[in-house]
Amino acid sequence: MNPTLYKASTELSHGASMLISNYVFPNDLHVHWSMMIVLYPYITGLVDGAFIIAALYYLFDVKSLKPIARFSLLFAFAFLCCATLPLLLHLGRPERNFNMLLTPSPSSAMAGFGYIYAVSMGVLSFIVLFVYRPDLVERGKKAKGFMKLLYRALTFDSNDLSEKALALDGKIIRFLVGLGIPVAAVLHGYVGFIFGGVKANPTWSTPLMPVIFLFSACVSGISAIIIAYIIIRKIGGHSVDSDCIRTCIKTLTGFFILAFSFEMLEVFSHSYLKTGYHHMVEGLLNGPLASSFWLWQVKICSVIPLILLGCMAFIPLKDAIYTAISGLVSAILLLQVFIMRWNVVIGGQLMSKSARGYTEFHPEWFDKEGIAAVIIIMLIPFIILFVLGKIFPFWAEERKSGIQ
Amino acid sequence: MSKHALRIAFVVASVVLMAGVGFVLKAQLIPKSFGLYGPYRADAIDEEAQRVLKHGTNASCFGCHQYEATIHLKGNHKTISCEFCHGTYSDHIKNGKKIANLPVKKGTEITTLCLRCHNTEIKARSTMVIKTVGIQDHLKKQNVKLTHTCNQCHHVHAPLKYINEAKKITGLMEVKP
Ligand code: HEC
Ligand code: HEC
Ligand code: HEC
Ligand code: HEC
Repeated sequence: MNPTLYKASTELSHGASMLISNYVFPNDLHVHWSMMIVLYPYITGLVDGAFIIAALYYLFDVKSLKPIARFSLLFAFAFLCCATLPLLLHLGRPERNFNMLLTPSPSSAMAGFGYIYAVSMGVLSFIVLFVYRPDLVERGKKAKGFMKLLYRALTFDSNDLSEKALALDGKIIRFLVGLGIPVAAVLHGYVGFIFGGVKANPTWSTPLMPVIFLFSACVSGISAIIIAYIIIRKIGGHSVDSDCIRTCIKTLTGFFILAFSFEMLEVFSHSYLKTGYHHMVEGLLNGPLASSFWLWQVKICSVIPLILLGCMAFIPLKDAIYTAISGLVSAILLLQVFIMRWNVVIGGQLMSKSARGYTEFHPEWFDKEGIAAVIIIMLIPFIILFVLGKIFPFWAEERKSGIQ
Repeated sequence: MSKHALRIAFVVASVVLMAGVGFVLKAQLIPKSFGLYGPYRADAIDEEAQRVLKHGTNASCFGCHQYEATIHLKGNHKTISCEFCHGTYSDHIKNGKKIANLPVKKGTEITTLCLRCHNTEIKARSTMVIKTVGIQDHLKKQNVKLTHTCNQCHHVHAPLKYINEAKKITGLMEVKP
């Protein structure tokens, strides 16, 4: 036994200090919602943010986003495919998730995700199919055998590319994207709600939770799109559309200001309201989370990007420099959102229900919910994206007619 | 209607149809007794009630182990379950008859057992509820080798039994209740 540790613990056991500062219920020692539950809001957040970019183009006619609109849809789709994976991995008996979906109950929110997920998956798949129909029809004409059949199915067996047909597609896309916005908001708002709805946990239980999650979702999704766009284009030796990057960064700035303000507002309202368990929340943010919240989430990953975004907004920069800084800011913001999810999900569980003690979290490498599993799960969407890219071309070729 | 519009109408119809099939399937798959009393399977109550009891109570042991019972009931461990230290009733007794012997811990196993509740290192325990010791510190204070096991001084069933007796004989120390 380590002698100093041993000495400290014997000293603790004799004084009353242990009772006040270090009493953790045995069932609170272990963090039950671990990294998979951090990943879950992170992945749904990426989906939402990417979808927002697509929606800005297809519904709000922000023309400068054209180069990445289709890619954002595919990106959202690839990540949505994996959104339930962390949850299922977290469950001890994943096959039982269907039982929950069979008998949803208004007094338990858990089944809700299954339904919201199914609806968003349906809506997003159809948006992708309608947006890509002209490409798929053309590829279908050249394809043979099984691929021909696949393209036929993906185009709903309609190879009509007339002005009228494309106009109808355009209307349908608009309708679906319009429908997709509330669906995406509910999908991710739900994730925030699931935490906000845990009355027993004072750090989670605030009505601001869904709002904070939504805004940070937009931040992470847009950042991810910017990085993916720059990297994939550069690797392929293609040019990067700087007009498009500038619009993305402006949107990102807006959402990040909102997200950060609400994150701080939450801390403020905790410390102003001073509810019964405020001492715990305060102790958490200044104790176990002091470095991951104040230093990393706030100072390094929020203040620095804010300054950078400010510079980008006010100082005229050359396109190449602007693009480079965009990549940097986006990377920091992706990290910011991940740390934020971490601080909410894992941080929130570091305090005991005794309201007197804090516990610790030690991530493991090789565990059902370990770091290796996290890396694998984050790689799967990219594999899906790669495969999708074989059928659905990422970048729109110049096209004259239709809603492209 | 153009051919394209017709195809789309067909897609919409199949989505509606699939949703309909989904709802029918869902209705079919819900267990029969679900929702009779509340949002759970009513049959589950009967099924749970059929489980074989694993644990008895301390009283269930007293009938056959009177010697241990009298010691246990007088000591500081009187609130502790026999089964915590020995294993479950169902592993030992069936239909009122002994079916197998419960393992009896020996030597360092006993120390490990005691430290599950009395270890200072486990900070989750409040000293108000359970007195804890740091093993090395405790043994050093008693001036014994670190290889001593707990039961060499403490009676496992009434931990202060011998210690209080010794105090009475020597009259050196105050006797604890
Ligand atoms: C039906 C009577 C009966 C009941 C009830 C009973 N026991 Fe026993 N127990 C026995 C008998 C008989 C033995 C064997 C004694 C022997 O071999 O010396 C035994 C042996 C044991 C032994 C092992 C002793 C050894 O030296 O191997 C332990 C420990 C023990 N019982 C604990 C318990 C506990 C704890 C309970 C309550 C949950 C319990 N018993 C209930 C009859 C009973
Ligand atoms: C704190 C843990 C603990 C509790 C509680 C406890 N025992 Fe024991 N018991 C032991 C240990 C350890 C031994 C082995 C004793 C030894 O070797 O000195 C033992 C020994 C025994 C034996 C065997 C004695 C022998 O010499 O073979 C019996 C029988 C027994 N206990 C019955 C009971 C019964 C009945 C109860 C409840 C009234 C009980 N015990 C409660 C720890 C416990
Ligand atoms: C299941 C947890 C548990 C285990 C295992 C256990 N004890 Fe205890 N022990 C207690 C509790 C609880 C008390 C206090 C009972 C009370 O005050 O009502 C206690 C009291 C004591 C005391 C009296 C402390 C005092 O001064 O009041 C001693 C000494 C002791 N135990 C020694 C032991 C030894 C030796 C063992 C191993 C054979 C052991 N205990 C195993 C829970 C446990
Ligand atoms: C050499 C004899 C000896 C051994 C071995 C021993 N103890 Fe003790 N223990 C004592 C004495 C004597 C006391 C009473 C001290 C007093 O009353 O001041 C005591 C007291 C205790 C107490 C009560 C402490 C308190 O704060 O009042 C606990 C708990 C305890 N022992 C647990 C253990 C455990 C667990 C072990 C095994 C790791 C163990 N003891 C081994 C002699 C011993």
